Amino acid sequence: MPEKNIDFGKFGARGIKGSDAVARKLDELAGGIATPVTAKRGWMARLHYLTKSPQTLKAAQDAGLTVTHRTLKAWLDGKRRPSKTNLERIDQAYRTVRRHNVARHLLRRLNRDGRGTRVEIHPLNQSQVPQPLQRVVEYRTMNVRRWDRIVGSWAAGDHQSLDAAWQDTIVDLGSQWGQYEYVTNVGFAA
Amino acid sequence: MSDFDAIDSLLDAVGPQAQLPPCHVRRELREQARLSKAQVARALGVSPSTLSGWETGRDPAGEIRTKYAYLLDGLNTKLTTETETETETETAPAAEQPVTSGTAATVTPLSSLDLRQDEDGDDVELLVAPEPCVLCGRPAGQRVAGFAQHLTPADCQPTATGAPAAPPAGQPTAHTPKAPLRTPPPAHATKRSKSPARHAFQEPSGPLDLIRETVQSALTEHRGDADAATAALLKRAIPDAMRLLDETRKGARYDVIAHPWIPDILKKQTARGADQIWEARPKWTRHQLPPGRHQVTALDINGAYLSALKTHLPLGQLEHSTGPAHDRRRSGVHLITPPEWEHQAVLPNPIGQRDDPGPLWVTEPTLRLLLRLSGPKHQLCTPPQIHESYTSGATENLLEKFRIALKDARDTAIEQDDTVTLEYVKAMYSKFVSTMGQSNYNRELYRPDWMHLIRSQAFANLWLKALKAHHEGLTVVRAMGTDELHIIGDWRRVFTEGRAVTEVKVKDTYTATNTAAEHTGEGE
Repeated sequence: MPEKNIDFGKFGARGIKGSDAVARKLDELAGGIATPVTAKRGWMARLHYLTKSPQTLKAAQDAGLTVTHRTLKAWLDGKRRPSKTNLERIDQAYRTVRRHNVARHLLRRLNRDGRGTRVEIHPLNQSQVPQPLQRVVEYRTMNVRRWDRIVGSWAAGDHQSLDAAWQDTIVDLGSQWGQYEYVTNVGFAA
Repeated sequence: MSDFDAIDSLLDAVGPQAQLPPCHVRRELREQARLSKAQVARALGVSPSTLSGWETGRDPAGEIRTKYAYLLDGLNTKLTTETETETETETAPAAEQPVTSGTAATVTPLSSLDLRQDEDGDDVELLVAPEPCVLCGRPAGQRVAGFAQHLTPADCQPTATGAPAAPPAGQPTAHTPKAPLRTPPPAHATKRSKSPARHAFQEPSGPLDLIRETVQSALTEHRGDADAATAALLKRAIPDAMRLLDETRKGARYDVIAHPWIPDILKKQTARGADQIWEARPKWTRHQLPPGRHQVTALDINGAYLSALKTHLPLGQLEHSTGPAHDRRRSGVHLITPPEWEHQAVLPNPIGQRDDPGPLWVTEPTLRLLLRLSGPKHQLCTPPQIHESYTSGATENLLEKFRIALKDARDTAIEQDDTVTLEYVKAMYSKFVSTMGQSNYNRELYRPDWMHLIRSQAFANLWLKALKAHHEGLTVVRAMGTDELHIIGDWRRVFTEGRAVTEVKVKDTYTATNTAAEHTGEGE
């Protein structure tokens, strides 16, 4: 892709990858447990979520929560508390399972029977770029009709394919799409 | 001889000038016909600014004057025709002032039916067969400027239906004997502009129709059951408000940016917590009443949040800046050190009941209120000290059409005693404001900054009402929340009672004495 940025931020532009902004927004829309995993209330809630049914437990184990039933029971009974690495694993497993569970509904809402969702793209921040190097980058909106690849790769936690999917989407912005590879924010509702 | 011809033609040209209606009528006529200044100016061959001049006090002269008079005349006839055809079908549709006796009473039957140019330039025709007069409906023998009518007021005795003949008081120029060529009195113009049914130029269905249609369909769906319809409408108030917003922003200058980047101070710290913005909600009760027993009236400001939709809203993404300068064309949130407030005994602190000292994040309406109070007119406090700001270019008109649509719907509902629409409108604006931040009930709009600004504007409006009462010599006892103001004294000379958004309604009256702590002092 010839429009891609090679050395982003060399002259002081600030922003995040468009696909990261999309993933962040999708996470926000997916919601979930807000209490941090380090608090007892937080990790307990996550464990309850992950052990609600044999299916979710299986999904959690697939997502990397590889502990014995005995340990799980001890955690849930409050006899022991998970170590730091295990807390991270719990959080990771929770995020994966949650995304997987929510993806189906989110996808339906975003596709809206083919009508799609309006996406706002807020351009990168050029306030630290020297004046002669600043370019006019406008705020843009577009309607995204097909979210399958985006939501699918987000649910799978696959950054690369999410990035590719998003890039294929913003190509519709026209010849300037490369200016929107990095953004300050991507906004949409579901 | 050619010299004399030239002189003759010059003398002909000197004749009476074409009459023009008064300036405001000129404008009204043009606006009623939905013609832009540019369109009219092009047709007349002048510049739009010249036309503005003619509509605000200047008069054209010469040939162009005749052209302009012809245009206004034509518009007038066209518009009047549209009005009159509604009521009178048979008669020639127009309304002409009865030409008073001064000039036209001298009309004598002439031998021919030729057009006769009288001294005022009116075309008076004599009719062989009398036609009904446009003013009183009885047979008249003359036709002036194409409309059959009596020439003396004595002959013409308008019946009750002949309303146009009643000369309105405020328009003396149009009733002089030198009535404009075919210009009906401007009373028609004003009457027309108020009439709801406009047939001449079909009005496109607007946001008001959207509200009306929604209510109608809900009522039909529930077979006229008002309670069920209201419940159903309240449920869909938020998406409907968003649709109304989209409708009112059609063809507008600015986009509603719904998901900008939000600075951390506007983000909630925890799921249920608040962000760092101080909205300056007033919660103030007067410490000491004046001695004696008092009748306290609790007033309620109607539609406080609806009125507060008119505020300076930042359009785009908020940008950070530091420094004490305040740019009036931008709006947002500011970190300020509030000034000392020395009038706590008689007036609430404009930044509300703040316990923590030190700098705080306030919104644009609060800052503007403080700047205004520190200004030369009021001098109630020192100017606030601005440390940091997150602002963006602002406009006051972003939600203006939205607000006016809701206000009109509310006014109509009150007039017609239509509780369903009233409840629906109320739910629309209040839920719109409360969910425009980061709410799961409205994901279309993520503008916590707007939510804070609109709320603060409501509080600032209440504060200014308290100040107004104080200046008028009333005793303000309490200012609470968005719309509650307790006052001692004859408040009716300051505020009007009613249900419109500019009026107040009485919530409660009670007596309070200096010593009794019945109502006073409990809000501390």
